[in-house]
Amino acid sequence: MKSVYGNYAEMKSKTILEVINLKTWFFTRRGIVKAVNGVDFALKSGECLCLVGESGCGKSVTALSILRLFDSPPGRIVQGEVIYGGTDLTKCTMPYLRKIRGKDVAMVFQNAQSALNPVFTIGDQIAEQVMVHERVSRPEALDKARTLMEEMNIPQPGRALKMYPHQMSGGMKQRAMIAMSLSCNPAILIADEPTTAVDVTIRAQIINILQELKNGRGMSIIFITHDLSLVKEIGDRAAVIYGGKVVEVAPVEHILKNPAHPYTIGLIDCLPDISAQNKRLPSIPGSTPNPLAMPPGCPFHPRCPHVMDICRAVEPATVNITDVHAVSCHLFVNMRGGSCNG
Amino acid sequence: MRSYIIKRIVYSVIIAWGIMTITFILLRLGPTSPVDRYILNIAARGQDVESVRQSIEARYGLDKPIIEQYFIYMGNLLQGKWGWSFSTSQTVYDLIASHWIYSFQLILLATIFAIILGVGLGMLAAVKQNTRIDYAASIFSFIGISIPGFWLGLMLIMVFAVYLGWFKTYYDTAYSIWSLENLKQLIMPVLALGIGELAGYLRYTRSAMLDNLRKDFVTTARAKGLPEKTVIGKHVLRNAVLPLVTIIMFDLGSIVFGGAYLTEIVFGIPGLGQVSFNAIFANDYAVVVAVTLIGTFLVLFINLATDLIYTYLDPRIRYD
Amino acid sequence: MTDIKQTRRSKPAVDQRLLHYYWERLSKNRMSIAGLVFIVFLSLVGIFGPVFIPDPQKTDFEIKNLPPIGFSIDESVYDIKTGEFTTTVIRGRPDHPLGTDSKGRDMLAMLISGARISLLVGLLATGIAIFLGTFIGVLSAYSGGWVDNVLMRFTDIMMTFPFFLLLVMIVFIFGPSLAIIVLVIGLTGWTGAARLIRSETLSIRTRDFITASRALGASDTRIMFNHLIPNVSSLVIVMATLSIPGVIMAEAALSFIGLGDPMSTSWGTILNTGQHSLDTAWWVAVEPGIMLFLTVLSFNFFGDGLRDAFDPKAII
Repeated sequence: MKSVYGNYAEMKSKTILEVINLKTWFFTRRGIVKAVNGVDFALKSGECLCLVGESGCGKSVTALSILRLFDSPPGRIVQGEVIYGGTDLTKCTMPYLRKIRGKDVAMVFQNAQSALNPVFTIGDQIAEQVMVHERVSRPEALDKARTLMEEMNIPQPGRALKMYPHQMSGGMKQRAMIAMSLSCNPAILIADEPTTAVDVTIRAQIINILQELKNGRGMSIIFITHDLSLVKEIGDRAAVIYGGKVVEVAPVEHILKNPAHPYTIGLIDCLPDISAQNKRLPSIPGSTPNPLAMPPGCPFHPRCPHVMDICRAVEPATVNITDVHAVSCHLFVNMRGGSCNG
Repeated sequence: MRSYIIKRIVYSVIIAWGIMTITFILLRLGPTSPVDRYILNIAARGQDVESVRQSIEARYGLDKPIIEQYFIYMGNLLQGKWGWSFSTSQTVYDLIASHWIYSFQLILLATIFAIILGVGLGMLAAVKQNTRIDYAASIFSFIGISIPGFWLGLMLIMVFAVYLGWFKTYYDTAYSIWSLENLKQLIMPVLALGIGELAGYLRYTRSAMLDNLRKDFVTTARAKGLPEKTVIGKHVLRNAVLPLVTIIMFDLGSIVFGGAYLTEIVFGIPGLGQVSFNAIFANDYAVVVAVTLIGTFLVLFINLATDLIYTYLDPRIRYD
Repeated sequence: MTDIKQTRRSKPAVDQRLLHYYWERLSKNRMSIAGLVFIVFLSLVGIFGPVFIPDPQKTDFEIKNLPPIGFSIDESVYDIKTGEFTTTVIRGRPDHPLGTDSKGRDMLAMLISGARISLLVGLLATGIAIFLGTFIGVLSAYSGGWVDNVLMRFTDIMMTFPFFLLLVMIVFIFGPSLAIIVLVIGLTGWTGAARLIRSETLSIRTRDFITASRALGASDTRIMFNHLIPNVSSLVIVMATLSIPGVIMAEAALSFIGLGDPMSTSWGTILNTGQHSLDTAWWVAVEPGIMLFLTVLSFNFFGDGLRDAFDPKAII
């Protein structure tokens, strides 16, 4: 079993979810879309791991793959494992998976308006989840829903229960969705860009909630985002994803202070610096690869300022540059002799 | 919400007025006057045409100015004085009262049949998209909407009554309406009328289900750990079916009533369509007009009911 | 920068590339191409066919009830004198390949004549309905205010009448002639078109690309011709194609119940005769029905394909 961490044993003992060489491909009429093409990461208990990348890099599909929530006729997990509680979720039976969904691992989505069913009240939707996993009656479930809404600081929770999604404000909807995901006390919360569609004030509220969940309840969070500033705010560790692969993994301070992968360096450079005067905003030249036609070798090589011949042909192996910092790049494969896996 | 209901009802009244007025205009625009038609019928009896014409005109007030005639017409319609059917020797009202039940039964059974099978198969086709079941359902629905209903009726009679002898070739009114024997002989007419409807509902349901299956709330429902049949049967269906109510009502007015008219004629069911048909060839125009108006008012009422039901069913409109 | 006015003048009236694009999308749908082929075939038959056939109304009781070629039917004749049935087998003949009806009229001739009627009524009546509907729809959307209100109320009133019942009543009042039938179908079938086109026009007017055009300084007429009409025209074409089957069925239904033009032979009229001889001459009822079915099916396939081809959101 591959692992990207140096101190394998220590990591293993605290790991609650492990994703190993995951490949999710979509078999469409126009070709095979290799949305996730070799993603590895481990989630430690009680930490917030951020999956960072631009749109289309495969981070959302990775999240969906954990619970096998992507559209299954075109999509398929062609390789890899997702280990939770000793079971490989990519291969377990559907009834088993459904027990995990919403109860052990819960998900929060980007757009609360479209993620909630418009024809049922929010109370009904939360109660429904509770009733599917726990043996309670409907009034009890609704009561639980009410408590959750209170915890999320939703005003007039009793009244809010009877509201339909379109009647609620953006922030309220997002918080209601988080409340729903917490209804069965999951061990892991996957948040797929929960703050992208809301404005700044709500963003702060949601980040607060998530931090509370992590610190107060010890919940493990996978936080998906394209926004590096958010990573700084909430993340413990970050995994940078490009072209369907994890290109760099490290604790957040390490990544921000000593980014190793050229893509990560480029991303950090792109952060607008308010103190910089009259400088043109830097950007990474080129555009994200077309998942229908991935370039061979390292997916980033067409845009990399340090590209070498080997990058165009061979996929780089993952290397540990420190015992907590791993990178997938030929620059390091050549430089470092030891601790090279793969 | 209450103000909406009131507004809607008032609007229906306006439309009702419009319907009656337009019918009146059409009648008066015709090349032959109602009296001429009546006279055509009794001319054979050899009475003096002119004196008969004058006495009729006096009796029905047709010698008065047109505006006055209009008000008399409106008044009569609203009071249920729908004229005299000389071809059946009873008031139009009585004629309709004794025959409407056959039409009602036919349309009711055909629509129930079409809804159950249409929505059911549509759901199945959507869930099993691009499989053989889906293709078969799509082909069936294309055929269903393209087959002329009255021809389908003829073919059913030909195959099952004439050649196979499973049914009689005529409709026997001896049985009581809701008896088993009567329902048995309604099988073919209900099929003939219902298959076209069914095909339409199948197509619509399939497409609405497919649209909704792609939506985000479906992923959320699955992420909650709900069993697939709840995801489809509750979350998706409830969204897909909403506009179906409107479509069913719209179809009733535009397709089903016309279809029922023809089906009654083909199978000899003594409903209002058959009544109107007989009246056409007897030149009994009061009956023709009355049946048309009844059909129209039914559509008006159904439209009103549908609007109100839909407003209640869709929370996005109910609470706005 | 080249002179913009110069480039405008050299553009062809109908954008060739756009046509090619739509044709590409359409041709990927095999069923709709099959439909188109049948429509073309039927049109050719309808236009040129009647030239080659004998008078469809010509009766000849000698050859009545001939089955189509390749089929045979038993005809039983009851002899009053002997009190017995004599059964002869009648076979189809090549000179009447589709058989004859109970009055000896050649089926093929009647069907071809019917094709012409159906196409004529289909195109003319649909043309009237779509034209009227588009006119009212656009007028209503553009005028707004009380004009819009009155027109839409009127449309609502007309839409409430069940289509076929209204048709029957009007034909009853005004008499069954082909001209009346075409006119009536056209004058009663415009309501759907009016509604759709009005709503489409209204929605296009508020779309961002129109606002953008205005911001760039385009005049109202320019907007109407360069943006509105092209966007609405694809809807009009699809609607017209999908209305034709309904019109053809309406005419057939009217003829079937005896309210068709007595001078012409339409498929519905043939069915009217055929319904009485289901046991003795089944082909009289089957053949026109098959033609109706195939025609309607073709228009439905083709119209559906057109609709998908024009829909910018459909991935073809």
